[in-house]
Amino acid sequence: MKKFLKIAALSTALLSLAGVASATETVVWWDFLGGGDGVRMKKLIEDFNTANAGKIEIQGTTLDWGVPFYTKVQTSAAVGEGPDIMTYHASRLPLAVSQGTLSEFTAEDWAAMGLGPDSFAKETFDAVNVDGKQYAVPFDTHPIVLYYNKDKLAAAGLIGADGLPTGLDGKDNFQAALQKLKDGGSQYGLAMTTADGGFAFRTIYSYLCQQNGVLGTDGAWLEGDNLGKLANAVQVVADWVKAGVTPEYTDYPSAVALFTSGEAATMINGVWEVPTMVDLEKQGKLFNWGAIELPVLFDRPCTYADSHAFAIPNNVGKTVTPEKHAAVLAVIKYMADNSLFWATAGHVPANAAVQASAEYKAMQPQATYAKLTANQVFDPKSVNAGVASPLFDAAGNAFTAAMNNEVDAKTAVDEMKASLDAL
Amino acid sequence: MTKNRRGEYLVAAVLVAPFVLIFGWMFIYPTLQMVQLSFTKSPLIGAGTWVGFDNYVRMFGDKLFWTAIWNTSYFVLLTVVPGTAAALAIALMVSRLGGWVQSFVLAAFFLPYILPVTVVYLIWDWMLNVQFGIAQFLIEPFAGKRVNVWRSAPWFMPMAALLTIWWTNGFSILLFLAGLRNIPRELYEAAALDGGTRWQVFRSITWPLIWPVTVLCLTIQLILQLKIFDQVYLFAQGGRTQSTMVLVQLIYEQAFQKNSSGYAATVAVALFVIVVAFSVLQFQLLRSRGGNK
Repeated sequence: MKKFLKIAALSTALLSLAGVASATETVVWWDFLGGGDGVRMKKLIEDFNTANAGKIEIQGTTLDWGVPFYTKVQTSAAVGEGPDIMTYHASRLPLAVSQGTLSEFTAEDWAAMGLGPDSFAKETFDAVNVDGKQYAVPFDTHPIVLYYNKDKLAAAGLIGADGLPTGLDGKDNFQAALQKLKDGGSQYGLAMTTADGGFAFRTIYSYLCQQNGVLGTDGAWLEGDNLGKLANAVQVVADWVKAGVTPEYTDYPSAVALFTSGEAATMINGVWEVPTMVDLEKQGKLFNWGAIELPVLFDRPCTYADSHAFAIPNNVGKTVTPEKHAAVLAVIKYMADNSLFWATAGHVPANAAVQASAEYKAMQPQATYAKLTANQVFDPKSVNAGVASPLFDAAGNAFTAAMNNEVDAKTAVDEMKASLDAL
Repeated sequence: MTKNRRGEYLVAAVLVAPFVLIFGWMFIYPTLQMVQLSFTKSPLIGAGTWVGFDNYVRMFGDKLFWTAIWNTSYFVLLTVVPGTAAALAIALMVSRLGGWVQSFVLAAFFLPYILPVTVVYLIWDWMLNVQFGIAQFLIEPFAGKRVNVWRSAPWFMPMAALLTIWWTNGFSILLFLAGLRNIPRELYEAAALDGGTRWQVFRSITWPLIWPVTVLCLTIQLILQLKIFDQVYLFAQGGRTQSTMVLVQLIYEQAFQKNSSGYAATVAVALFVIVVAFSVLQFQLLRSRGGNK
C-alpha cells in the first residue's frame, strides 16, 4: 500500500510537471528603463525566468522613455497589439485611463498578488488610483534628493554629530550655506539642471508644496495664492543662479559632471543617479558622498516623487486567458517581493514590507532618504500632467528663462498659468 | 492603326498600374484622410466629431501657429540659399583638386551627411556645452560670456541652420560636382585663349551652365528645410520649446503629446499647402530665369 501510494504520488507529480512544461506561459513585457536601472531590471527578469523555468517566461523589450513609449503603448493597445505587462509612470495614468489604454486591477487581482493599499505608502497607492479604481501596481517611488560631497560639507562645518548634513533648513540659511561652500573653494555650491525647466519642475514643485501650495488641475490651475507661491519657488532657484552658487543654463549631464568632479558641492537630482555615484566610488574616483531628503526651505518638508508601476494594457479585441492573467500577476508579485535589488538603482521600493526589512535599512544612502516617502507629493491628477506631459512642457517654457533671470518669476508663472488654462 | 494605339495604351496602363496603385494607397488616400481629419475634433486614436472649420479658425488665431510659421520661414531663409551657395563654393574648390586628394576632401565633406540626426545632435551638443564645450572658446570672445545657444532665442535658429548646412551639404556638393564635370572642357580652353579672367570665366561659363543644378539643389533644400523638425525638437527639449517652435514640431506636439489629432491635421494641411505653393512657385521662377539666359 505504501509503495502504491508512493508510485501514485510520483506519477502524479511527473504528470503535472509534464503538463506544465508543455505549456510555458509567455509574458510579453515592455519597459522604458534604459539606464543603470535598466541593467538591474534585466537581471530581475532573468532571475524570474530562471526561477520559473518551464512555467512562465518573460519576453522583455526596452523602448524609448517618454512620449515615444506612451504613444506606442496607446496605439498598439488600441489595435490589440500591446504587451501583456508594461512599466508605467503613475503620473501618466490619468491620460491612459481617459483613452481606455489600461485594464483595471480588481480586488481578486490584489488578493492573488497578496498586495493591497496597506502594502504601500499612502501617497504612492493613491497615485495609481483614478476615479477610485486602481490601474497599476506601484513598484517603486522615485523622488528627487539632495546629493552632497561630505568632505566639502564637513570643511564648511555643515556635517552634524550624526554624520549627516545639518544647518541647511530655511531659504536664506540654505543659500548662505551654498555661498559658504562656494567661498570654501568649490566652483558652485549646488548643481542642478537649470537649462531644462521641464526637469527642474521636480525641484520647483517640491518648493511649491513646501509652502502648502498646489498646482490644481484642469479648469482650475494655480488658483488663489498658489500662483504667488509658485513664483516664490521659482525665485529660490533664480536667486541661486544670480548669486552664482548655481551654474546658469546647465544641462543634465553637465550638472552630474559638475558634482561628480567635485566642482559643485551639492546637487539636486533624481535618486536614479545613485548607481552613478556607487560605480564611481567603487572605481575609487569619488569623494565621500551621501544623499538626503530635500532640506525644508519653507514651511514643511515636501518632495516631488513619481512611481514606476506595472500596468496591464487593455488590448482591444484580444481576450486574455485566465492562465495568462495569473502569470502576469505572478510576475508583478515576484517583482514586488524582490524589489530590494531594485533599490540598488536608488529607487525606494514601493512595497512597504521590503522598505521595512533589515537589509533595506542597512542600505546607504537609500535608507537615509527613504523617510521622505512620508512627505512626498505626486503630480496633480490630470490628463495633462505627468512626465513628458504638456505640464512639463509648460514648465520648460516658463521656468527655463526665469531660473536664469531672463524673465522675472512673476511673469513666468503668469505665462505658465495661461498656457495651462489653454490646454 | 487605332487598334495598335489601344494596345499601346493597355501596355502603358499595365506598366504604370503598380506605381499608381501604391501611390494612391500610400500617399493620396492618407492625404485625403488628413484633410478629412482636419475638420474633426479627434483624439490620437479613435473616431472624432465633425466640427466644420473650427480647427481652421482656431489655427489662424493661434499665436503659436504664427510663431511656428515665422521660425520655419526664418530657418528656410538661413539655410536654403546660404547652404546652396556654400555647396557651390566648396564644389568649385574641390573640383580644382585632383586624384586621391580630391577623393579625400570630398569624403570629408560628405561624411556628416551619412550621420543620423541623433549623432549630429550629440556631437554639437557636446561641442556647444555651456560648461565643458570646446566651441565655447569661440563664442566667449564674441558674447563676452559662455552662452547656452540652445536656450537663447537669438542664437538658436542661426546655430540650428549652421549645423544643418554642415550636416546636409555633402549631397548638394556632390550634385554640383557632377554638374561641373558636365561642362565641356573646350569652353574653358576657349576662354583661356581669349584671356578671360577667372571671374569672367565663372560669370559667363560656369554660372549659366551650372544653373539647372542650382535650381535642383534649391528646390530640394527648400522642401527639406520647410519640413525641419528633428534638430529643433532635439535641441529645444525641456527648454523654451514655444519660442523656437517650427511647424512639424507643432503637428507632433498636438497629435502625440496633447492628443489632439484634428488640430494637428489642420496644421499639417497648412504645411502641405505651403510646401506645394512654394515649390511650384520656386521651380517656375527659377526655371524661367534660367530659360532667359
